[in-house]
Amino acid sequence: MGNEEGHDLHGTPGGPRARGVVMASRARCRIGVDVGGTFTDFVLVDEARDLVFTGKQLTTSSDPGIAICEGVERVAREAGLALADIDGIVHGTTLVANTIIERTGARVGFITTRGFRDVLEVGTEMRYDLYDLFMEKAEPLAPRDRRLTVDERVDSGGTVVQPMDEAELREAARALVGMGVEAIAVCFVNSYVNPVHEQRAREILAGSFPALPLTVSTSVAPEIREYERACTAAANAYVMPLMRRYVTGLHDRLGDLGLRAPLNVMLSGGGIAALRVARETPIHLIESGPAAGAIAGAHYAGITDSPSVIAFDMGGTTAKMCLIENGEPEHATTFEAGRVRRFAHGSGIPLKVPVIDLIEIGAGGGSIARLDAMGLMKVGPQSAGAEPGPVCYGRGGTEPTVTDADLWLGYLSPDFFLGGEMPLEVAAVKAAMDTALSDPAGLDTIGAAAGVHAIVNNNMAAAARRHIAEKGRDPRRYTLVATGGAGPVHAWGLARLLGIRRIVCPLGAGVTSSLGFLIAAPATDRAHSHVCRVESVPADVVNAFYEAMARDATAALVEAGGDAATVTIERRVDMRYVGQGFEIEVPVPDGVLGPDLGEELHERFLDRYDELFGRRIAGVPAETVTWRLTASGPTPNVTLNFDDQRIDAGAAGKGERPVHFPETGFTPCKVYNRYGLGPGTTFRGPAVIEERESTVVAGPDTNVSIDRYLNLIIDLDEPRPG
Amino acid sequence: MNATEDAAPNPRFDPVTLEILWSRLISIADESAAALLRTAFSTVVRESNDFTTVLLDAECNCLAENTGGIPSFVGMVPSAVKAMLERIPVERWRPGDCIITNDPWIGSGHLPDVTMASPIFHRGTLVGFSGSIAHLPDIGGSGWACDTRELYEEGLRLMPVRFIEDGQEVEVVADIIRANVRVPDQVMGDIYAQVAAQGICRKGLQQFLDDTGLSDLTELSAELRGRAETAMRTAIEALPDGSWSASMDADGIDEFETHIECRMTISGSDLELDFAGTSGQVACGINSVMKYTRAFATYPIKCALDPDSPRNEGSFQPVTVKAPEGSIVNPTYPAPVGARQLTGHLLYGVIYRCLAQIAPDRVVAESGSTPTLRSVYGGVDRQGHRFNQVLFASGGMGASHRMDGYACTAFPSNTGVGSVEALESVSPLLVWRKELTPDSGGAGKFRGGLGQDVEIEVRSDQPVRLSLMSDRHKYPPRGILGGGDGSHTRIEFRDGTRPHQKGRTVMQPGELLRLHFPGGGGFGDPADRDPAAIEDDIAKGYVSAEAARSVYGHKG
Repeated sequence: MGNEEGHDLHGTPGGPRARGVVMASRARCRIGVDVGGTFTDFVLVDEARDLVFTGKQLTTSSDPGIAICEGVERVAREAGLALADIDGIVHGTTLVANTIIERTGARVGFITTRGFRDVLEVGTEMRYDLYDLFMEKAEPLAPRDRRLTVDERVDSGGTVVQPMDEAELREAARALVGMGVEAIAVCFVNSYVNPVHEQRAREILAGSFPALPLTVSTSVAPEIREYERACTAAANAYVMPLMRRYVTGLHDRLGDLGLRAPLNVMLSGGGIAALRVARETPIHLIESGPAAGAIAGAHYAGITDSPSVIAFDMGGTTAKMCLIENGEPEHATTFEAGRVRRFAHGSGIPLKVPVIDLIEIGAGGGSIARLDAMGLMKVGPQSAGAEPGPVCYGRGGTEPTVTDADLWLGYLSPDFFLGGEMPLEVAAVKAAMDTALSDPAGLDTIGAAAGVHAIVNNNMAAAARRHIAEKGRDPRRYTLVATGGAGPVHAWGLARLLGIRRIVCPLGAGVTSSLGFLIAAPATDRAHSHVCRVESVPADVVNAFYEAMARDATAALVEAGGDAATVTIERRVDMRYVGQGFEIEVPVPDGVLGPDLGEELHERFLDRYDELFGRRIAGVPAETVTWRLTASGPTPNVTLNFDDQRIDAGAAGKGERPVHFPETGFTPCKVYNRYGLGPGTTFRGPAVIEERESTVVAGPDTNVSIDRYLNLIIDLDEPRPG
Repeated sequence: MNATEDAAPNPRFDPVTLEILWSRLISIADESAAALLRTAFSTVVRESNDFTTVLLDAECNCLAENTGGIPSFVGMVPSAVKAMLERIPVERWRPGDCIITNDPWIGSGHLPDVTMASPIFHRGTLVGFSGSIAHLPDIGGSGWACDTRELYEEGLRLMPVRFIEDGQEVEVVADIIRANVRVPDQVMGDIYAQVAAQGICRKGLQQFLDDTGLSDLTELSAELRGRAETAMRTAIEALPDGSWSASMDADGIDEFETHIECRMTISGSDLELDFAGTSGQVACGINSVMKYTRAFATYPIKCALDPDSPRNEGSFQPVTVKAPEGSIVNPTYPAPVGARQLTGHLLYGVIYRCLAQIAPDRVVAESGSTPTLRSVYGGVDRQGHRFNQVLFASGGMGASHRMDGYACTAFPSNTGVGSVEALESVSPLLVWRKELTPDSGGAGKFRGGLGQDVEIEVRSDQPVRLSLMSDRHKYPPRGILGGGDGSHTRIEFRDGTRPHQKGRTVMQPGELLRLHFPGGGGFGDPADRDPAAIEDDIAKGYVSAEAARSVYGHKG
């Protein structure tokens, strides 16, 4: 749901323009800013006047603040406001992720327990590709010469078995500074149980080198598993100097322009936090853009009364999907950054950070189709990207892509791509399809194009099925919310494969992600690992650390502009059968925990395990691993009330054109102008509905309707028996 | 694109249909595998991916295997199901049945691996089988060890028998299993994880048949095998015809060292590997049954020649593997086979030594992680809880024509390393050191990957049982095409005394064990190494300044 993917091919940089979006809420003016790889997006919500303004600037990669300041000023001016009138800015960025992918971060020095100098390098010891003898492996964020050790050791029970040699620590830090490091990360073995040495190391280093950015592992990821925790600490240190410069500069610059309101950031878990978080634990911002997209998906789940939603965003290179249950996006506690092979699990650096749980696969408009050594047609994950792009862009692309197939099948119009700003070349598509696919495969061009479309849909369906099966759920009960340039083109095909009956296409797929910044609640996550069998869970110990976590998290929310009285605390614990390596999340009772806590958790664990895997195993003890807490403020009460007056006038109908569907082949199909369709409109598919950033395809046997929020809804008919 | 031309494709399956159908079947096997992995108690399943889930057609041909499966299991399930059918004729298989066996010769080479299969019926007709193999947490007998003299010592052996009949557990079989293993609840938990995984395969295949309207899966599997076979044949054909041989030595057991001979013969699109001349079977659990030998002989061929096609039995049709009966790579019943990886893993070394003579750009040198070095710790912790933990760690991988070997990376197995903190949280062990070993990688134009040193202390108040399965103490992993050898395995206690490399012993409270996991072999003449790479090695401490001078002649 990252906006850099969603419409990198489809957006047009330029001035902000008012959209027909009206919000009813407390009268406040807020701006959401999403810094993507290609574009920086802006959304201004003026609640008093029920107006939403949007804008787009080319991202200024060397200094992203330039585009942000220009865009913020511009969108405010467009809205007739001064920056002093703005009540808040929420900001998300791909800077952290890109810094790790491009390896442009700081020179990091790493200090760890004697005997563990190579924890960052040895890693999981696995090959992520079973058959490739020459695969590239991700380099550690601190090379061996900048990794030093200190005598110290804590055991798994938290007892210090070797006191820390403080002189050695000072010496190590001096040596690293002598090597010109720009940031230091410290990770000691078992610090997740007892962080005493990390805390002392922090005091000592802060005293000796107060200006040097410092990360101790328990401050970013106080969780068991030294490799992942060390990686998280090193990654945090790696992006810290850059993020500090960036946010400090941005804060000052916006202040100079007259902004008085707080500048907040969106965390990867979907919560809003104070700017300080971006200075101290910037690694928690690694997925802030995609998180905003998921939050927006949750919003559409709410306004369309859909309890279970798959937020599906398909752009130029990737498709992302996120499950949303009862308005809440699914969360995960790990994320792999900086993969050397983008879609290969295990080819990057594993981080222990709270994130929205997204699946990302190499399926986008630019995905390239080819025949493999077995003569089977494959689509993606290689992508033609924006340059040279699909063949039909006429920019030198020669390999057929998904967008080329979509054009050939009539889903896209050669004359109305990007609202007509980019004419597409149909003739070149046939030649490319035939050379690469139709001729060698013994198909005609239509068969090849339909094959590309079907295969990319099947790839996405397979990924979704697997993901949903892992959650122990059934895909058929979901509603598909489709965004991104290619999402609405493929949603109907994907829905059919998954047995999904309803598709929602929000108006203006281009702004949905940025809206997420303004819809999200302030929220923050805390974690604490404590491995313990259920029969001996010490309720008093758990109460004590939960109290401290709640206090800390609430303070963070207040700092982000929240009100302590309205903070909600939600607690979960990762549990497993003793001997298993995978944990499942179990809700922890509210309030002060009593002596029957272990028993209660055991019951909840057995129920949840049964729900997921269909089994209760007698006789095997269960244990807790990591205790988690989420503190959140109230969700801003933003209701989107679209004002149909502001929808472009103009005819709804745009005539007919032949469009290809699997059951019918090419068939005459009505074409509609999305901006001419008012609330309450209904018609039967097949139909193609064109808008600036995308095209909605509704196949045969569907009912299309427009709701009061101008969402386009496709209901698939009950499959006919037989 | 010769593959498609030569295959004379079945007109029912164009490249689009076939891709969609096959991806869907692989996806079913993957969903089943994910469920098995997440519910398994066996650390070997979890850390080594030592399991597989497979869909077969009604004639026991493989339709799809899970993607992440390791080489050990390629092609093992189909022949196992055929063997099951010899004992239990097909007309006696009913919906809801599940057959089990762990016979090493029928299944996958040693007793802890349990092979299971269930029939899949659709609209009253048998359309296929779901099968799985997984390494159980325990199978009784010696535990995971190599100092056994006969198969009988290695645990319970089940010839194919119904474990579930008409959906009901066969009590007598379950009772026999429970009564013969150390951790019956976990073992039964894992067996039922396999049953559940097979259920996912069954439901998935039935849904697949409903959705696609297909009734005949045999034709589909034949088409897929044919295409995979063609891809491999195309790759083999690109190599010159001829015959090449190589040999290697390994520590074996005491005075019975292991000698492996390999002759590789290429004729057109056929490739034969013949292990004639290899040592005889031994009274030690390092014998590799023929199925295992075949799996670990064909896997390196696939990596080298056709790494991109998804795994499918068809890829291995053009490859013939021969080994004399009664040899250590084709032992006869009742040879002990518990640690067959100590021999099977080695095979890639001789195969690549043959292949290097005609295609040096396709191979890697021998690895310090080959065979895997395993140490297993068992006993009672201070709270009185029983524990049994395997220390998963690897030596370095061999170098290739274009890069240094990976440090601490398993090959040909693909074992992950558990976390030290996780190990310590469930056992009374404390790991004082787990660090790369400088100078352990073989020298070469490209250097072998570094191995590592691990030091582990017993902090229980009770003695801890230790089982060691290792090799490469005497014969280190060799370099290739002028590359130097990697380091030797070393295992010793605190006082420098050495336990038997393939033995079981006891560690007293406070005892400390040091294990050195060797580095990989080098590739090419060290004199050709880029001086900048040597400087970098010195700066990072991968190579000492002294070794840079003496081995590389570096004047730094």
